[in-house]
Amino acid sequence: MAELVLPAPATRRHAGRVLPVIRQLRRALPLSALVLAVAIVLNFALPRLAPGDPIDFLIPADQASAVSPERRAELAASYGLDGSEWDQFRRYVVGLAHGDLGVSTRHGRPVTELLAERLPWTLLLVGSSVVLSTLIGAALGFRSAWRRGTKSDVRTLTGVMVADSFPPFFLALLLMLFFSVQLKLLPVFGALPGGGAHGLELLVETMRRAVLPIASLTVAGLGSAYLVARSAAVSELGEDYVTMAAAKGLDGAGVRRHARRNALVPVWTVAMLNVGALFGGAAPVETVFAYPGLGRLIYESVLSRDYPVLQGAFLLIAAGVVAANLVAEIVYPFLDPRVRRPGKVGA
Amino acid sequence: MMSSRRSSTSRSAGRTLGRAGMVLLAVPALAALAAGTVARHSATRPSALPLRRPSLGHPLGTDALGVDIFAQLVHGARISLAVGIGAAALSLAVGLLVAVLAGWRRGWTEAVLMRITDVTLAFPFLPLVLVLAAFFGRGLVTTAIVIAAVSWARPARVLWAQVLKVREYQHVQAARAMGASGVRTVGRHILPRLVPLASAQFVRVANAAVISEAALAFLGLGDPTKASWGTMLSNASSANALLTGAWKWWMLPAGFALTAVVLGFAFMGYAFEERADPRLATSSGRLRFLAGRRRRPATTAAPVAVEAAGGPILAVSDLRVAYAAGMAPAVDGVTFEVERGRVTALVGESGSGKSTIVMSLLGLLPGDPVVAGAATFEGRPLLRASAAARVRGRRIGFVTQAAMNALNPAYTVHAQVAEAAALTMPAAAVRARADELLADVGLPAPAHHAYPHELSGGMRQRVVIAMALANSPELLIADEPTTGLDLVTQSSILRLLQDMKARLGLTVLIITHDVQMVLRVADDLVILQDGHVVERGPAATVAAAPVEAYSRRLLNTRLSPLGAKS
Repeated sequence: MAELVLPAPATRRHAGRVLPVIRQLRRALPLSALVLAVAIVLNFALPRLAPGDPIDFLIPADQASAVSPERRAELAASYGLDGSEWDQFRRYVVGLAHGDLGVSTRHGRPVTELLAERLPWTLLLVGSSVVLSTLIGAALGFRSAWRRGTKSDVRTLTGVMVADSFPPFFLALLLMLFFSVQLKLLPVFGALPGGGAHGLELLVETMRRAVLPIASLTVAGLGSAYLVARSAAVSELGEDYVTMAAAKGLDGAGVRRHARRNALVPVWTVAMLNVGALFGGAAPVETVFAYPGLGRLIYESVLSRDYPVLQGAFLLIAAGVVAANLVAEIVYPFLDPRVRRPGKVGA
Repeated sequence: MMSSRRSSTSRSAGRTLGRAGMVLLAVPALAALAAGTVARHSATRPSALPLRRPSLGHPLGTDALGVDIFAQLVHGARISLAVGIGAAALSLAVGLLVAVLAGWRRGWTEAVLMRITDVTLAFPFLPLVLVLAAFFGRGLVTTAIVIAAVSWARPARVLWAQVLKVREYQHVQAARAMGASGVRTVGRHILPRLVPLASAQFVRVANAAVISEAALAFLGLGDPTKASWGTMLSNASSANALLTGAWKWWMLPAGFALTAVVLGFAFMGYAFEERADPRLATSSGRLRFLAGRRRRPATTAAPVAVEAAGGPILAVSDLRVAYAAGMAPAVDGVTFEVERGRVTALVGESGSGKSTIVMSLLGLLPGDPVVAGAATFEGRPLLRASAAARVRGRRIGFVTQAAMNALNPAYTVHAQVAEAAALTMPAAAVRARADELLADVGLPAPAHHAYPHELSGGMRQRVVIAMALANSPELLIADEPTTGLDLVTQSSILRLLQDMKARLGLTVLIITHDVQMVLRVADDLVILQDGHVVERGPAATVAAAPVEAYSRRLLNTRLSPLGAKS
C-alpha cells in the first residue's frame, strides 16, 4: 500500500514546435538510461562484492566441493572471470550489447533463451492484473471520493486496506485452497493443459489456469490504485471548475465526469508504477501456482543458486519497469492538454 | 430543510483505523515478548513425530520435521516484528539523513542525492530485494539491511520535500539570519516538523518490510536457522498441506498472523498520514450535487409568461444559513428582492455572507449546511435541493467566484460552453450555439477551441459568462466578476455584463466587495454586514444618502480596485 511520489508534471515552456511525445521522451530518457545503467553495473558488481569468490556463484551448489582448482580456473575463463575487473566489465557490457546474458548453470542453456520462454506467461499475468487492478481500484476509489466521509467511504477504504494487506502469495494459497482444492473448479498447477487440447479448448484451459494467479496479483495492485484514485478525485472536487460544472446545470453524473477526467493522470501514473510492483509480486504468486513465468524462474534459480538466470531476470524486469515509465511519459500529453500544448493562444 | 441523505461519520476514519492498527499489532507484539513462556516447545528442534495433528501438547500439531507449529507461530512474531521495525528504523535513518542533507545544503549535494533517490525509486522493489538477498545471504540482519537498502528512497523523497517547505518558514529563516548554526537550526526547527511525516513513513516501510521478509522466506531466501511465518507457509506448501488438510493449523494461523501485522502497520500508516495532513480527515468537502443522476427536464420555458406578470424575480425572506448543525449562522435573517430587468448589487466585506447566500440559494454549499427561511424564484420556492437543481444553469446563470479558475483544464472552452448549451438544445445546434455565445462575449474566433490554460484571465472570465448564458437564463448571478482582473479588463467585463443585460433582457445580481466599481452599473444596492442586511434600496438613493453608519463607512472606503480585500 505504498503511497505515491508522483513525478512533477511537465510544464516547461521551451516547447517550440517539437512533438509532445518527443518532448516527453527527452524529459524521461536520462533517468531511464541511468536506471538501466545502474542495473547493469549492479549485476556486474554483485557477485564480486558479495562474500566469497564470484566463481562460487557459477558452480552448481551440489558440485561445489567436487570441483578441482584447475577446473575452477578453467570455468572462470569460460565465464569471463579472468583478467582485470575492468576487462571483465568491458566484456560483460559487449556481451550484453549482443544479447548475451550468460549461461544458466543449472540448465546449461543461454539465459536469454530461458527468459524468452518464460516472459510471455508473466506478461499475461502482469498485464491482465495491471489492467484489472487499475479499473477496479479506480472505480472504487472514485466512488469513495464522491461519498467521502460517509460510512460507505470508510467501509470501502477499510475493505481495500484489508484486501491489500494479504501477502499476495498467502492470498494465492487461499484462492487455490478454495477454488481448486475445495470446489475443484479450477486446475491447480501450470499454465497449459496437458497435450491434446486445441483451438478454443486450449484457450479456455489456458485462461482457467491464469485466473487465480491474475486474481491474486489484481488484489495486490488494488490498494495503490484505489488510494490514488480516491485522493486524486477528492482533490479535484475541491477545484472551482467542479462548482462551476454544477452551476451551469450539469447533473451529478456530469459533474463527476469533469472531476474524473482530471483525476485520470495520477491513476495512469500509478498503473504504470504497478507494472513494476506486480512483476515483483509475480515471483511468489507464480511459485504457488507453479506457473511457468519469470517469477517462478526466479524462484527456481534461487533454489538452485543459478545466479546468471537470477541476474538476467532482474535485468529484464528492470528494463520492463523502465519501459513502463517511458510509456507513462509518452501518454501524459494525451491525458493533459497542459502538457500537450504548453503556451498561450496568440502569445 | 436540507438534511443530509447519507449518514456521515463525524469522527475521522484515521483515528478509528489507527486504534484498530494498534490492537492488531499489540497481539503479535505480546506474543513476541512472551514467546519463551507461551510456547512450551522449541521452535527449531523436533519435539514430537512429524506431521502430527493438533493435540493438547501441540495445539497446532507439528511440521514435517516434528517441530511444534505453535512454537514457530509465536516465535515467528518476533521475526516479523524485528525485521519490520529494524528495517524501518534503518531505512528511515538513511532517508532522514539524505532528506536533511539534500534539503538543507541544496546545490550539488541535493542534485546528486536526489538523483540517487530517483534511481532507487525507479527500481522494482521486490526483484531488487530478491537479488540482493540472494547474493548477500539469508540472516535476519542481512534481510533487514537489504530491505532498508532498497526502501530508504521513498522516505527520503517525502521528507526532502518537507524540509524544503519548512526551511522557508519565517522563524527558520530568522534563526538562520541570526547566525544560528546549521546543525542547531536543523535540530531545533526542522527535525521536529518532520516527525509527523517521518512516523507515517516509518510505518509504511515497516509494512513493506514485513511483506518482503515473508516473500523472501517463502521463496527460500529466509534465515535457515529461524522459521518465520513466510518459511512456515513455504514449508507447509511444499509438504502439500493444502491436500492433506494440515493447512487448517499449519497455513491459516501463520498466514493470518502475517496479514494482521501488515494490516496493523497499514492502518497506523493511514492514521499517521491523516494526522500529518488534516485535509484528509475533513469531510466538509462533500458535495451534495454529486449524488444521483437526473433526467433532463422535458420543458424549460413554458411557464415564464405567466410569472413574468409581476413581482420580483428573486425574493429572499429571512434566510438563515449555518455551515453545519450547531455552528453560528453565517447568514442570519436576510431579506431582499431582485427586481426584474434591473442590476442588483449585493455588497459586503469578505465574511459578510454574500457568497454564502447565493451558494445556498443555488444548492451549491458543500457539507451539510442548515438552511432556513424562504426564497422564491419567479414565484416558486427555491430552497429545496431539487428546485435549485432544476433552475441552475437553465433559468439562473451563475458566474462563480474566481471564475477564471472555474474552467476544467482538460476540455476546450468550446466544449465546455457546448456542454452547457446541450442541456436545452438539440445536439445538432449545440456547436454553432457555442461559437455564437463565445463570439457574443467577445472571445476572438481563434481562441474558441483553446484550452483554458492558453487564455488570459479576462478571456477565461468571458468564457465563464458565456457558459452561464448558454441556456438563455432570466437571471444572471455573478460572484465577484471582476476580482483578480486588471483595471482595463474589469471595465470591459462590466461593459460586457451591461451589454448582455440590454441585449438579452436579463436581470443581474452582482456580488461584490467593491462598492465604487459596482456603483457604475447597479440599479439597486443591498448592503450586508456580518450576515445581516444593513440597508437596501435604489443605488442612487443609498449612495447619495446612506442611512446606516456602516453603509456610510463602506461607501466612503476607497477599496483597492484590484480587490485586495478578498
